[in-house]
Amino acid sequence: MRDGINLAKLGIPSVALVTEEFWAQGNFVAESLGMPGAPRVQLPHPVAGTGAENMTTVADSVAQEILAALEASSD
Amino acid sequence: MTNTLSARDEEAALEELHRLRCTDGLPVVIPTAERVNRMVLASGLEADMMLGTMGPGHGIATVEKVAIAAVMAGCLPDYMPVVIAAVKAVIDPDFDLTEMQATTHCTAPLIIVNGPARHTCGPIASGTGALGPGHRANATIGRALRLTMINIGKARPGSSDMALLGHPGKFTFCLAEDEESSPFTPLHVSRGFDAGDSVVTVLGSEAPHSVIYAGDGDDPNSYKSLLELLAMGLANPPSNNGTLTGGCATVVLNPEHSAILHGAGLTREDIAQELYQRSFVEASIVKRLFSQFAGPDPQDRMAFKGPEQILILQAGGSGVYSMVMPSWCVGAHANSAVSVKVEADMFCEIPGLSGD
Repeated sequence: MRDGINLAKLGIPSVALVTEEFWAQGNFVAESLGMPGAPRVQLPHPVAGTGAENMTTVADSVAQEILAALEASSD
Repeated sequence: MTNTLSARDEEAALEELHRLRCTDGLPVVIPTAERVNRMVLASGLEADMMLGTMGPGHGIATVEKVAIAAVMAGCLPDYMPVVIAAVKAVIDPDFDLTEMQATTHCTAPLIIVNGPARHTCGPIASGTGALGPGHRANATIGRALRLTMINIGKARPGSSDMALLGHPGKFTFCLAEDEESSPFTPLHVSRGFDAGDSVVTVLGSEAPHSVIYAGDGDDPNSYKSLLELLAMGLANPPSNNGTLTGGCATVVLNPEHSAILHGAGLTREDIAQELYQRSFVEASIVKRLFSQFAGPDPQDRMAFKGPEQILILQAGGSGVYSMVMPSWCVGAHANSAVSVKVEADMFCEIPGLSGD
């Protein structure tokens, strides 16, 4: 979340990928850094270590959402 | 002036502080204006003096807010200069407080106190059971720092403090070096301070891991066995140091183990160098257990980037146990240790008020 916000502050379109377990922390970080509406997309938890097949499935499920968020943030 | 809450009595105030998640889960001393003012007065500093901001919530740490934490923790006013120095240490950008508070690792700030403040701002225990219960200064100074991290830094479990389990040192984690019985130069002197300075050194740390060694007076190479065992504890393969390399870690030598190493002619710097060279994860283990990091031709993986990353001090009672504390070792500054001089000159002793 913090990385996404830091990139956005540099004017680079960005979207943070946040797993559901860390969603509340993402909200906290976005609030504390003054960008409560910073673009973010929720992933299932966990993703790390779940294997290539699952990661591909997760990526397919959120790809359109990520693109939409990037397009919105670059407007 | 900090906003104040009101309650019908101290019992109700305590419940309100728990409800607001302003405590560490244990009862606190209610930070009434009178108690906080006394703590501020003892610091000799202005109440609204800003020490810096504390992440991840980016709250501003004023002397008054730190005093509130010190009151809540149960500190005596005498302890304030050490609490202030500890807060300054974690605020230092090299400490990476924001990242440290938010990580899923269990890391907690270990406070090591050197110099005269061990006595004038305490006593801060350095001997038997120094990291255990029963030592008021140790218990409440560490707790005060934690309460600043909760209430100024806004680290709360599950939403901004993401430690998956944590460890008990997240309640309090403070000790002094036993300079009087140590054969080595004090830790703070090795970090560039004068022996007469009082210094707080803070670093993120795992819980202590025990290292048992009985020594062998008939074996002139006994010290090498001790060094190897300490290094094995530091380079514990599943620790972050063993897995990721780098990040300051701590070795707390008991008096016997200090004597063994000193008897072999080793200085503090020699010990750090010897431990650095011995602290690695063997290539065969890297290959077998860490295939995702290993690459096609795994080598021995060092646990540290240099001997200066291994902090050594003497503390604890006599016996066969020393302690090693691996660390988180992540963040922009890779778990740096930060040392801050205790400014006790400003301290204002208040006759008749201390401890009331």
